[in-house]
Amino acid sequence: MDAARIASGIREAEFSAREVIQSSISRIRSLEPTLNAIITPLFEEALSRADRVDRIISEGGNPGPLGGVPVVVKDNMCMKGIPTTCGSRILEGWKPPYDASVVSSLEEAGAVIIGKSNMDEFAMGSSTEHSAYGPTSNPRDTGRVPGGSSGGSAASVAAGYVPIALGSDTGGSIRQPAAFCGVHGLKPTYGLVSRWGLVAFASSLDQIGPFARSISDMALVLDVISNNDPRDSTCSSSERPSFSDCIKDPSVRGKKVGIVREFIGGSLDPSLKGAIEKTASMLEASGAEIVDVALPMSGEYGLPCYYIIAPAEASSNLSRFDGVRYGMRAEASDLITQYIKTRGSGFGEEVQRRILTGTFALSSGYYDAYYLLALKVRRLICSEFARAFERADVILMPASPTLPFRKGELVDDPISMYMSDVFTLPVNLAGLPGITVFTGFEGSGLPLGVQLVAPRFQDSRLLEFAGVIESWAGRPGISPGGDK
Amino acid sequence: MGLEFETVIGLEVHVQLATRSKLFCPCSTDYIGAEPNSNVCPLCLGLPGTLPSLNRKAIDLGLRAALALKCSINRKTRFHRKNYFYPDLPKAFQISQYDVPLAVSGSMPITIDGRVKNIGITRLHLEEDAGKLVHSTSDGRLSGAMFSLVDYNRSGVPLAEIVSEPELSSSEEAREYVISLRRLVRYLGVSDGDMESGSLRVDANVSQKCSDGRWGNRVEIKNLNSLKALERALEFEISRQRDLLGKGVEIIQETRHWDDGAGVTRSSRGKEEAHDYRYFPEPDLPAIRIQSAEVDRMAGALPELPWEKRERYAKEWGLNLPDASSLSDNPDVAEFFEKTVASGAEPLLAANWIRTEILRLVNENEVKVLDLSVKPEHLSALLNKVRGGDLSNTAAKDVLGVMAKEGIGLSDAMKKAGVREGGFSTDALEEVVRAILEANPSEADLVLGKKDPGDKKRKFLTGLVMREIRGQASPDAVAAAFEGILESREDMGNAHSH
Repeated sequence: MDAARIASGIREAEFSAREVIQSSISRIRSLEPTLNAIITPLFEEALSRADRVDRIISEGGNPGPLGGVPVVVKDNMCMKGIPTTCGSRILEGWKPPYDASVVSSLEEAGAVIIGKSNMDEFAMGSSTEHSAYGPTSNPRDTGRVPGGSSGGSAASVAAGYVPIALGSDTGGSIRQPAAFCGVHGLKPTYGLVSRWGLVAFASSLDQIGPFARSISDMALVLDVISNNDPRDSTCSSSERPSFSDCIKDPSVRGKKVGIVREFIGGSLDPSLKGAIEKTASMLEASGAEIVDVALPMSGEYGLPCYYIIAPAEASSNLSRFDGVRYGMRAEASDLITQYIKTRGSGFGEEVQRRILTGTFALSSGYYDAYYLLALKVRRLICSEFARAFERADVILMPASPTLPFRKGELVDDPISMYMSDVFTLPVNLAGLPGITVFTGFEGSGLPLGVQLVAPRFQDSRLLEFAGVIESWAGRPGISPGGDK
Repeated sequence: MGLEFETVIGLEVHVQLATRSKLFCPCSTDYIGAEPNSNVCPLCLGLPGTLPSLNRKAIDLGLRAALALKCSINRKTRFHRKNYFYPDLPKAFQISQYDVPLAVSGSMPITIDGRVKNIGITRLHLEEDAGKLVHSTSDGRLSGAMFSLVDYNRSGVPLAEIVSEPELSSSEEAREYVISLRRLVRYLGVSDGDMESGSLRVDANVSQKCSDGRWGNRVEIKNLNSLKALERALEFEISRQRDLLGKGVEIIQETRHWDDGAGVTRSSRGKEEAHDYRYFPEPDLPAIRIQSAEVDRMAGALPELPWEKRERYAKEWGLNLPDASSLSDNPDVAEFFEKTVASGAEPLLAANWIRTEILRLVNENEVKVLDLSVKPEHLSALLNKVRGGDLSNTAAKDVLGVMAKEGIGLSDAMKKAGVREGGFSTDALEEVVRAILEANPSEADLVLGKKDPGDKKRKFLTGLVMREIRGQASPDAVAAAFEGILESREDMGNAHSH
């Protein structure tokens, strides 16, 4: 069942919110020993919230469009009084005194947050193996990684814990795990969804977005979370369309779909190449026109550009974790030693690597050669996307160069791990919306997904294309066991 | 021998902007006397997930100061992050401005020995304040059972940093610069400019140019918490640098801390020197556009500035420079003065009375000058009576006292003080003089017979007249009345002899 069906079932008293949450809890209880997708379960809170929804309904009230729907949010989004770990030891014991904007929006819409999901520490990683709370397994093949960094949220949706979940995407952290876990995942336009209460990784790239098993659910969640929020100065103040209305009767007729030839040659996994080609011909059959576009800067320099800007911002954003006010503190006899011990033992290896890289890139004498140059490349990437969108309404490209890899396969090879985001991170650099759409399974049962990218604030166009693809490829089911 | 030195000083002044809320969150800026950590929220505590939202009022106040300092305004300005670790800085970076400050290239006149000198202003930028650390040990180490406390009430309070060109050449000039700047920000309502409470803070950069062509390195002095400290620290540092240069020793470029108790500057190597602040543009705040219309509107709304007033008082009303300064120092006093003149008082007389009597009333009653019950038009009417000879100074002071105490107008106050409306006419005054002469015949004869060496008896009689009329006429008027009577007596005497 998708979220919309659950909400209507509860509204029509076919079943109660408590029953929905109970069944979600039992599914989580039975699969968590294998998957480890949830860092902090919130079962008690969820049940009492479900009861509140049931009470509203019994009193003839409206619990909201997501009334009684179980949801998982990534553990880098603040919830008042609930531990928020970011998958890191350094935040041990910290309970935010406030709710993230998206958490308030979800709860106002009646959603029931049932857990905080596992993630690569501070969202740095592509496999959810860099978590202080242990790795998450891919529900489609538990020997493989779910992707990352929002691997816990992607796995929760794929495993049927919940119909929808929130993740955050700085360089591909929603779209790549969506592809690996066989669900849909959307990174909205930068500035569509408020970042207030999202623990920052790289402020100019971070964006919150939904995972779902249907495009209509995705539109529903986007309607709920994409609000103008004055607390986030980078959040757009313009009015949002009704995304649910935009996808009621999706059509791609007369639209142009851009293909980047360089991206589907080379080292791309053949089954993913096949998925792109199949999607392209299906869109063509639905009345769209396929055109070639070129993104040479993105392909060549996107990755190095990203791996300067993101760590640079992260080095500053993560400086506040010093053990002085909250979280973990390694006691020492003087302040400097306290800083060094706290940060040296509280942060994992990958986070330390990026803090060091970013600190270096911003250091005097290196700033111009690294950070400033990266900003210039970023502008070039923005303008080459703009040129591509003069020819195409959307760009169809891979979400990841590979199928989900095996656990432990890349964990000691950071560069290969970084390559996993080569097709997603240019989209963050340009602030564009990108979506991973599930397109089926390959021969051995691993999921396939493709990425669509649109101009800024054309998120509804992405959803429309995704809706057409979904009507042909079908909705993703849940694993293990299939849909009930 | 004969090595001579020229002192070169530049000042960095931080003023706390008079906004009600902090630079990036809605918390109150009123931390004086507040319970530690009571004016805080997740944002100014730097909690994870929080994002800054700019308080436009701080931009407006910064612009107002910048325009008064004749700066050019950057129409597109932005914030940077200045990164460093310290427990009073909860995000471990300060949101400040770097390559594109709000304003650059201005100037401010200061007056030194009656001469005006223009001091260049390099830049004015906005930034957030840090919290306040209270150490349990003097060296700030967190050792043993010792601990440090942090109060974040000040964290995120908006500051404008105003940097001067290195164009001040003595401690007196530096002091005068700070006084002028403080007066300006108070005038503009940009800041309360209070040094004791820390809403105006000064760091000084000082170096020496030697007559043999050598330049001493620049030294930055911090912890200057009063004008006195600024002057003393500069004096100390100037002679320290000159001694070293005289001995051929090079000055180390460093930050030194003023120790007010010991009266010396001490090297504070470490915290400041070791830092590479890794400035980069604040990604959480979009660039700020400042519209030309907005700048024009703010420039048009600037009040007359203290130095402009001073010059006008001197030029148009003939005040000397010290009087012109003292009346223009405080905008309220200036307003009182100008309104008094506008309602008809003679400017020099009004200036004297306001500097003495009115400011005395302000001090005695502990009120603001504009809140006195004596209004400028009351003072003006009173002074016109003094000027017209209808009231002596003494009587006028009595009347002013009654006006202030009772909160009543001039004529009521004169009645209450027993002073007749219109004072004493010449006739009435002469009548009193005659009566006094008749009551004191021996003294009167000596005066009339011009046998009064040194006018002793006349002064005595004048005193009796003044007592009789309770100072309700000016000494000049009384003297004129005496003269009138003496002349008529002489005429009579002459008539008799013919």
